[in-house]
Amino acid sequence: MLLKRKAQTMKDTLRKIFTNWRILLMLFLLVIAVIAISPRPGREGLAIRSIDANSSAALAGMESPKPSAQPVSRERILSVNNQPVAALEDYNRITAALRVNDTVYLKTTKQQYPLKVKEAFDFITLNETELLTTEEIILVNETADNGSIMEVPRTINVTREVPKVMKVGRGAEDLGIRAYPAPTSNVKKGLDLQGGTRVLLQPEQELSPDDTASLIDTMTQRLNVYGLSDIVVREAGDLSGNQYILVEVAGASETEIRDLLAKQGKFEAKIDGKTVFRGGEDVTFVCRSANCAGLDPNRGCFSDGSQQVCSFAFSITLSRLAAEKQAAATAALDVVQDQGGSYLSKPLELYLDDQKVDELSIGSDLKGQAVTQIQISGSGAGQAKDAAAFTALQNMKRLQTILITGSLPVKLNVVKVDAISPVLGEGFVRNAILMTLIATFAVAIAVAIRYRTAILSGLIVVTMLSEIVMILGLASFIGWNIDLASIAGIIAAIGTGVDHQIVIADETLRGSRDGSLYNWRERIKRAFMIIMLSYFTVAVAMLPLVFAGAGLLKGFAITTLLGASLGVFVTRPAFSELMSILVKR
Amino acid sequence: MPDNQEHSSPHQHQEHQQGQEHHASPSAQQHPSPSRHETSPLPQQHPSPAQKSDAKGNANGQRGPGIPLKDRLWAFYAGKYKPLFIVPLLLMLLSLGIIGAGYASTGSFIVKDVSLKGGATITVPLDKEIDTPAIEHAIRAAMPGHDILVRGYGIPGQQQGVIISADIDINSKEQLDALLTAISSSLGSPFKEGSYGIEFFGSSLGASFFRESLIAMLVAFALMALVVFVYFRTFIPSVAIILAAVGDMLAALAFLNLFHIPIGTAGIAAFLMLIGYSVDTDILLTIRVLKRKEGTVDERIASSIKTGVTQTAIAILAMGIGFAMAQSDIIRQIMLILIVGLTADLVFTWIQNVGLLRYYLERKGRT
Repeated sequence: MLLKRKAQTMKDTLRKIFTNWRILLMLFLLVIAVIAISPRPGREGLAIRSIDANSSAALAGMESPKPSAQPVSRERILSVNNQPVAALEDYNRITAALRVNDTVYLKTTKQQYPLKVKEAFDFITLNETELLTTEEIILVNETADNGSIMEVPRTINVTREVPKVMKVGRGAEDLGIRAYPAPTSNVKKGLDLQGGTRVLLQPEQELSPDDTASLIDTMTQRLNVYGLSDIVVREAGDLSGNQYILVEVAGASETEIRDLLAKQGKFEAKIDGKTVFRGGEDVTFVCRSANCAGLDPNRGCFSDGSQQVCSFAFSITLSRLAAEKQAAATAALDVVQDQGGSYLSKPLELYLDDQKVDELSIGSDLKGQAVTQIQISGSGAGQAKDAAAFTALQNMKRLQTILITGSLPVKLNVVKVDAISPVLGEGFVRNAILMTLIATFAVAIAVAIRYRTAILSGLIVVTMLSEIVMILGLASFIGWNIDLASIAGIIAAIGTGVDHQIVIADETLRGSRDGSLYNWRERIKRAFMIIMLSYFTVAVAMLPLVFAGAGLLKGFAITTLLGASLGVFVTRPAFSELMSILVKR
Repeated sequence: MPDNQEHSSPHQHQEHQQGQEHHASPSAQQHPSPSRHETSPLPQQHPSPAQKSDAKGNANGQRGPGIPLKDRLWAFYAGKYKPLFIVPLLLMLLSLGIIGAGYASTGSFIVKDVSLKGGATITVPLDKEIDTPAIEHAIRAAMPGHDILVRGYGIPGQQQGVIISADIDINSKEQLDALLTAISSSLGSPFKEGSYGIEFFGSSLGASFFRESLIAMLVAFALMALVVFVYFRTFIPSVAIILAAVGDMLAALAFLNLFHIPIGTAGIAAFLMLIGYSVDTDILLTIRVLKRKEGTVDERIASSIKTGVTQTAIAILAMGIGFAMAQSDIIRQIMLILIVGLTADLVFTWIQNVGLLRYYLERKGRT
């Protein structure tokens, strides 16, 4: 009989909990957060971070993941030559033993790739010089028949004395894969937690918003060209109006990044080995508006086997000198038929810092013509038409950026460089999790002792942990990186959360024991009066930090704001409802 | 029992709007003694229509034998709130003195770490226990003229590595190489590329970041004060809240100065967090005392103390664990500042702010 009544009360309580909209809202957001985080403990293999350009891996068809791809959806390497790779050490050990021209079989979650090991070379500049003759086209002034002076291109041979360079093989080249232990959730760790390099750059002159956008495009592009994909390049500012560019590259060493950023960004277009134009000076205009750049309506999209391919086209304007050079270079080429169009026998090759980044077919109508307005076209492939169109437009944007400004529009000074070792990062994460758990349970015990009820402790622990899950879920959802400053922000947010729950507990419990004039709902309302006011003061105190100091503490400020807001509007109301259902009796 | 005390009070003429005539026994029942307070029925404490009271009434009335120490303490705390102002005042003056002395000797009111003054920090994980002061000494000897700091990190009882910070010029490759050589020779083994972390800070960035942080802090303070003023719309109680936050920050700053603990960018975040936590208890107190009608002023103060001290104690507990366990210097720095600031907050909220509120009510009651 008693048992039956107990069961009945239990049922009643559960019904009350699961019909309360504030509690349901919290549960709903928790479920969404867990889906966003999608924890996958114990995953095998190594996730691919990026593939170096022109490396063995790139030649075998491996691709860097899209920057927007969620961490758990990344392609993973499962085995190398049938030996499973559980840790980076396994991979390094196996690949260190490779020799030139070996074939390696790399099994990933997508497919098996045969990789051919290339030979690496050192270029040693010798202490002697040699004479090098090259053909160059210059413009000379010539008096035409009608007496006017006009510029005419002339091909001349230039001989220069250049230092002699010796090419020396130095064994097997790296496969060109940057991998890291497979992520077990979608929570993106900040640099200080996963290792990598962070550089803060300051432009020498003030940049307009347009210039800044193109600078960021160019830098991202440049780093992508070198096969680095986990990159954040963003603008940062401070209250005094200083501009900064923040570059974060996961899993790259400080020397690599310094070298990369120091590079001039030399862009050249070559036909048959001859330079026809250079980025910046020779390209006077690159069209990026919709009327002369976009998916090519004349060719459209078509299916090629299992894939869809879409074409893009955009026009550029060359300087006269560049146009003449192109005319001279194309005059000697043959016309070939391919893919329904007629093209010249040699393609236009694009080089960035002496690395070939792209190759374009030249329409046959350009043969020997000194046209200044030319159309550049290319294509992108994907599983579906949408994906193909997306890739095509991405490729177009990439090319445009290279063409507009191979070199950066302004000199940048390095004001801060951080190199964070990944070994430290792993320790930090484990340490932070352990610390949070121990602190949470210490709080629970203190609350239990203070209020002499386990239910309240339980509720406080549940709300603290739900707040952490919700903050992490939100971070995964919007792609926010959790770094040490964000962890401090989470601590601040759940700290104020506990403070507020103590206020709720005191206001409600005290009232019910004193036989207060106010009913339960009124008392919760009164607790919220205190909570809302302290929430507003914390929120306004954090706001200036979002904008100050080159964004160094932005992560902290935003996480605190998000966490405190989630707390005040979601978990605190749910907590007080749970209190009233479970403790009121 | 306590009812007659009011009439024996020498301060009877000081009437208050809040509270009640038969001035119940805050001394006996509202002091921070959880069990008694919660279980007492307190029948005589509903606001009386007369709304007259004397918050200080029991100050002298309760002296004498037979009255428990706790009650006498409460009587002292409630009655002598004016003389008690000396405690927060001294603490604040002491803090200012320490900060001023620091400013006089170093030209800065905080000890800046390399993130604010420029330089590098190098974190080297180790698998063996090492003598940190000896390493610091060796590196200092190898790098004369530079400020070198070496700290160990790890969990208690198990050192996991060292963090070395040095105020070298980050654009000078020679200085960096010299530092790395000095570190590897002092550690006795060359460390391998990639196993350690380096963070560089440009000195101009540090200076501008510091300036910025001060602005951010002032703006944060101004906005916080604005919210408080708009909500309470009274001068003294609002100023009391802001003064408590100022006191907390000065105390934390003085502590850092006293022990020469350098602070960096993370420290700035901690000071902003401190504003938030500090204001939490003050808001709780001020809302309970000014906006609530039930019970006497003393009762409401006592209930605020119970809630507020619980909050602060739990926060200090959690932060103490964080400070003891954290490997990251950033987290430790934040925790330390919060622990010191929150400890000082006990004085600035429960003596200074309570006193100012009592003073405000007293004045308001007189006019």
